[in-house]
Amino acid sequence: MERIAEQIRKEASRLLDSGEVELVVGFKKGTIPMVNRPWFARTPEEAKEFHWDGFCNLNLVNYLTKRKGKVAVVAKGCDSRSLVLHFQEHQITRDQVVILGVPCHGMLDRRKLQRAAGKKEILDVAEKNGSVILRGKELELVLPREEALQHCCTICEHRNPVLADMVLAPEVEERKTDRFSDIAQIEAKEARERWNFFRKILSTCIRCYACRNACPHCYCPECFVDCSRPQWVGKSQDPDDVFTFHLFRAFHMAGRCTDCGSCERACPMGIPVRLLTRKLEKEIKERWGYEVGLSLEGIPPLATYRPDDPQDFIM
Amino acid sequence: MDAKMLPKADVSGFLGELRGKGYEIWGPVEVDGAVDTMPLDGTASPVTEYWNSRVSPKAMVFPQSERMFVFSVDRSRPDAFILKEVEEPCIGRLAFAIRPCDARAFGILDKVFLVQGAWQDPYYARKRESMVVMALGCNSPCTTCFCHWTGGGPFSREGVDIMMTDLGEGFLLEPVTDKGRELLQGIDLPGASPSNLEEAKGLQDAATAAMGEPLDPSHIRKRPLLEMFGDSYWERAHEACIKCGTCTYLCPTCSCFDIQDEVRGPCGVRGRNWDTCMFPLTTLHASGHNPRPTGKERFRQRFMHKLRYFLDDFGTIMCVGCGRCVQFCPVNIDIREIIRELRG
Amino acid sequence: MERSEQKEGSWEPKILAFLCNWCSYAGADLAGVSRLQYPHNIRVIRIPCSGRMNPAFIVAALRNGIDGVLVSGCHPGDCHYLSGNYFARRKFTVFKSLLEYMGIEEGRVHFSWVSAAEGEKFAQVVKEVTEKVKALGPARNYVKERIEVC
Repeated sequence: MERIAEQIRKEASRLLDSGEVELVVGFKKGTIPMVNRPWFARTPEEAKEFHWDGFCNLNLVNYLTKRKGKVAVVAKGCDSRSLVLHFQEHQITRDQVVILGVPCHGMLDRRKLQRAAGKKEILDVAEKNGSVILRGKELELVLPREEALQHCCTICEHRNPVLADMVLAPEVEERKTDRFSDIAQIEAKEARERWNFFRKILSTCIRCYACRNACPHCYCPECFVDCSRPQWVGKSQDPDDVFTFHLFRAFHMAGRCTDCGSCERACPMGIPVRLLTRKLEKEIKERWGYEVGLSLEGIPPLATYRPDDPQDFIM
Repeated sequence: MDAKMLPKADVSGFLGELRGKGYEIWGPVEVDGAVDTMPLDGTASPVTEYWNSRVSPKAMVFPQSERMFVFSVDRSRPDAFILKEVEEPCIGRLAFAIRPCDARAFGILDKVFLVQGAWQDPYYARKRESMVVMALGCNSPCTTCFCHWTGGGPFSREGVDIMMTDLGEGFLLEPVTDKGRELLQGIDLPGASPSNLEEAKGLQDAATAAMGEPLDPSHIRKRPLLEMFGDSYWERAHEACIKCGTCTYLCPTCSCFDIQDEVRGPCGVRGRNWDTCMFPLTTLHASGHNPRPTGKERFRQRFMHKLRYFLDDFGTIMCVGCGRCVQFCPVNIDIREIIRELRG
Repeated sequence: MERSEQKEGSWEPKILAFLCNWCSYAGADLAGVSRLQYPHNIRVIRIPCSGRMNPAFIVAALRNGIDGVLVSGCHPGDCHYLSGNYFARRKFTVFKSLLEYMGIEEGRVHFSWVSAAEGEKFAQVVKEVTEKVKALGPARNYVKERIEVC
């Protein structure tokens, strides 16, 4: 991890020094354990603050939308796919971005770690040799890294950047994972059961929109929740309105979500919103064999068609 | 001595007795590993070993959504065009085992909603009026707690009617106000012994000492206002912020709201919902102009309001140092850093 | 919009039909002119093209007390705007599966291709959709109740 941090600092400094980019977006160490702050360096001096560890969960492409000028960004596998989508959707151009690719072994889930530590406050987290070491007052706990990963990372099939100008660490072995068996389990329930299931998991939603704001691909100048004529979704805590917000947001992610997990990481209530976005990922994969953000030539599936698309559901 | 001891095994009995007297009790409840402040109707037991709830107890007096009144324009109805209130009157809400920072926060909300000699928010007032606060002091404050910067502390008695201290086997209940004293006198519990009181004092002093030196945020007042407002610091400070509502919604003192009518056919309801300065819609004018057009202005607004405007108006910053925003911000915006920066 | 009546044993579903102007609406018109009988439960909303259909309309319908929705457009290849129905086809399949996944019963939302010459087909489609929705009963779990206070 420290080696990657050094590489990021080195490359960022070089790019800023030479004037090749005006800004480098990466992470700076957080003021509390288990979270890091997105950091915007504009000088080689500022680039010294870049940091890398298992808590660099958020998708930094979120900060690139409609940005002007040349910028470098630190990108994991999922982030690089988001960048590809951003290029396809013309949110930023390819020649504006220098991609500092970082092959990723998975990011850690602070909630899983806190659950393991129980009621004790975690004051320090160290990562060493495939283990995560938690330290605090009367707390010393070692966990295997695989048990502490954020869920999206446990089923990730693109841990290496799919597009990068430079790769700052050794490649990670890609593997096929079981991405959809939990979705299939929900699909197998009865309609009423599914309704109740989603109402329950959405019951703690406080409509903070952290999920939406953390997502690079939610960039509408006016979000549908703010539309008042007509008002598609009410602003109150009426459970039907909360449900509708998540329903629409998930649909907007169809064929666009790279499963970076930023939405779940940002959510203060720990709502598993990816159960919705991954259902759509499954549909898109099964029907049209498409995966988001793998190549610049791809076209998001809802923005295109084939005359012979399946239509078994149409009367 | 009017302090009493509440054995932990007797907590449900105690709450049941209070419920019998007509109190509507709210307290911290653990669901799926997370703690939130919720009504305690007897089905769920409160948790008393916890750091703090996610959503603060401000929902007791200022719920996220509330219906102000309903109306119908259907002329065939006898109540057409009459605004009808739908809320039930609140008898006596009792906050059980909330933290002293959250207890202080009610005092700050009072400054906004109950303006002395002027306007009193009726929806807030009717819930707040007969409220009793039993605050559970913090034996081991978290590192993200900074209540002592804001004039509070792990056992601060401001806004508290009965102070609870966890002594292991039970809670020491010390009345702070007459309201608290009266409540305790009406409940049959063993009196606290001198050694209970001594033990509690030891824990309280230790907790306060463990928090370290406070920083005095009132120095923020010293800089000229417009200079602080125009400082280029805000250009960089806001960059990482994703302008969601996490900090404002979890904050025990944030009080912005939006009033909106929702109608269908001839019927409608006027509701009040939490709003946040972080959303662009909050300040969007009907003309389309937005005086806080970008995230920078909104970010600046949040901290200027909390740390300067409120301080100028009311002599205290609009923050009780609970640390929720620090713990839950997805991008690690840390208000403590901003306080240090604004102090100079 | 009033909710459908719920009398003992005589409940009739209220179904909203979004018909594309050039094909399905004309097909419905042909059914009328040909005096073909079909259930009276549908209310027609004419849209220029099935590609204009916004999934939010389906949700808005359900939340306002509508029991079923039918969206109908031109056959693939016949779209007046060339490709609107192709995009609609992809949109519908994804949205339908998401709606059902989240617990809206299968059988509430339907899609069809009906051409301007298919008056008979239109009547048949409406018959089938009405039967399916009737069998499901009133759509109540997603109606916006908060306003029902008066």
